Amino acid sequence: MMMVSMALLVWCGGWWLNGRLANSPASNTSAVKLLVPAIFGVTLLIVWELLVRGLEVSLVILPAPSVIAARFATSLPILWQDFQQTILKGALSGYIIGCGAALLMAIAVDRSDFLRRGLLPVGNFVAALPIVGTAPILVMWFGFDWQSKAAVVVVMVFFPVLVNTVAGLRETSAMQRDLMQTYAASYWQSFFKLRLPAALPFVFNGLKISTTLALVGAIVAEFFGSPTVGMGFRISTSVGQLALDMVWAEILVAALAGSAFYGMMALIEKTLTFWHPSQRG
Amino acid sequence: MKTLLTAAAMALGAASVAQAADEVKLQLKWVTQAQFAGYYVALDQGFYEAEDLDVTILPGGPDIAPTQVIAGGGADVTVEWMPAALAAREKGLPLVNIAQPYKSSGMMLTCWKDTGIAAPVDLANRTLGVWFFGNEFPFMSWMSQLGISTEGKGEKGVEVLKQGFNVDPLLQRQADCISTMTYNEYWQVIDAGVAPDELITFKYEDQGVATLEDGLYVLEENLNDPAFVDKMQRFVRASMKGWKWAEENPDDAAEIVLDNDASGAQTEEHQKRMMSEVAKLTAGSNGALSEADYQRTVKTLLDGGSSPVITKEPEGAWTHVITDAALN
Repeated sequence: MMMVSMALLVWCGGWWLNGRLANSPASNTSAVKLLVPAIFGVTLLIVWELLVRGLEVSLVILPAPSVIAARFATSLPILWQDFQQTILKGALSGYIIGCGAALLMAIAVDRSDFLRRGLLPVGNFVAALPIVGTAPILVMWFGFDWQSKAAVVVVMVFFPVLVNTVAGLRETSAMQRDLMQTYAASYWQSFFKLRLPAALPFVFNGLKISTTLALVGAIVAEFFGSPTVGMGFRISTSVGQLALDMVWAEILVAALAGSAFYGMMALIEKTLTFWHPSQRG
Repeated sequence: MKTLLTAAAMALGAASVAQAADEVKLQLKWVTQAQFAGYYVALDQGFYEAEDLDVTILPGGPDIAPTQVIAGGGADVTVEWMPAALAAREKGLPLVNIAQPYKSSGMMLTCWKDTGIAAPVDLANRTLGVWFFGNEFPFMSWMSQLGISTEGKGEKGVEVLKQGFNVDPLLQRQADCISTMTYNEYWQVIDAGVAPDELITFKYEDQGVATLEDGLYVLEENLNDPAFVDKMQRFVRASMKGWKWAEENPDDAAEIVLDNDASGAQTEEHQKRMMSEVAKLTAGSNGALSEADYQRTVKTLLDGGSSPVITKEPEGAWTHVITDAALN
């Protein structure tokens, strides 16, 4: 009971502290802007730890953060192996192939009315296919190793990027395109100087959505057959052994990798679309 | 009016009698199929009712870990394989085996004969499909007995694939051998058009690494409660009656299973065949756990090679308290 009341106390304390910081004159400094979410996160972790220990929740249902951290620290070699297999080989190669193909296809779709009317509806249909249905088939086609995971990722990221890019390439107004024509610009000149830059916010929208899709796809695909390494493999087998601390350690890796991946794309977007209203200020 | 009142009173009385029956929730390890025929028979034939029990059978599936269900309080008793149960015990979930309706293990490795595999030693340098989710330990132990590494292909090593719950890797020749159960996946291979003499099978039972399957497990703390123990004694007695009935009437038992299959995924032919194979595995068990079989399972698990499922001899992982009372 002691720990449960302490959890309540910590929660109220964190709340009060954040309230004070947010209302203080220094609330606009970057230090406070970083401090507030940090305090919130730390408070959550402490409350989790205290509640799990205070209420004696079984490790099998929810391990305490300290247990997860300990498991994380002692399993670094395994986690690194799984990270390489799933994220670097499966997700990243699938992401690059899928997004690259989608960008090229978007240009083809943009140039051909036939493709736009014919391919996009099919694209939406394929994008709606459930991964649990396609993953076993792709494992059958491309084998158990990372290639089949990359294939699942390609299927998952291709259409969000394609649809967004096609929409982006239609973003310029007729006036702007006419102006390019009066300059006697060729298709590619007006494409690179006008239409592609105008499409970038859309393209990055698709690319950012796809970062998390790629991770999910690569991990879930491993549930349907994999060599004895990889994050999806580890998660599914650790659940069977009730090693829930290991499952959470892998979840932590996935969350960190996903945030870093997303953050990287956001950063690239920021430098490339500095002119866009959403990036000003 | 008077008759109405009497009828109402009688209905109430009947309702309270129905409520008096003790509720038992049984979590199965897998989907509704003849592997669990004994429980469905006991329910269908009224063996549970005769013991004043109101039993709910919860089917499992690929996304359900029975150990987690029982840990979360979703079931009173669960059907589980001993490796998974002992692993859970070591991880801090104190499961106790109260009865063991399955005497023998149905697990085996099924290989293409034309790959040149004739004996277990030929398995080196092959690609093998193995089920994980706690089912990999007998395999690991077997390989370590043979001196074969599971780290990758080589003179003294095998490539291990995590196999899904289908037989495609064998049919597609992505693997030279896959895990099968005598009562289920083996027949899926046969049904896919493969002749039995094209295959060679290695039963874990014959290789001396068989582990106990499909026992009944409860949480240790519940065994301190006399009412719970009494309930389980009646449950095990009725369940074993169901199993023996199923062994004697395999076709009828398969029909009962089909009637209870809410998913409608099972076929009559498959279930009848499964029941006749399952009957071979339950034969020879009266429900009481054999200590020798338990010791063999523990030994197999402790020799599990590089990553043993349990690191120390478990204590108090089984009890005869329930079966001693239930079977006399």
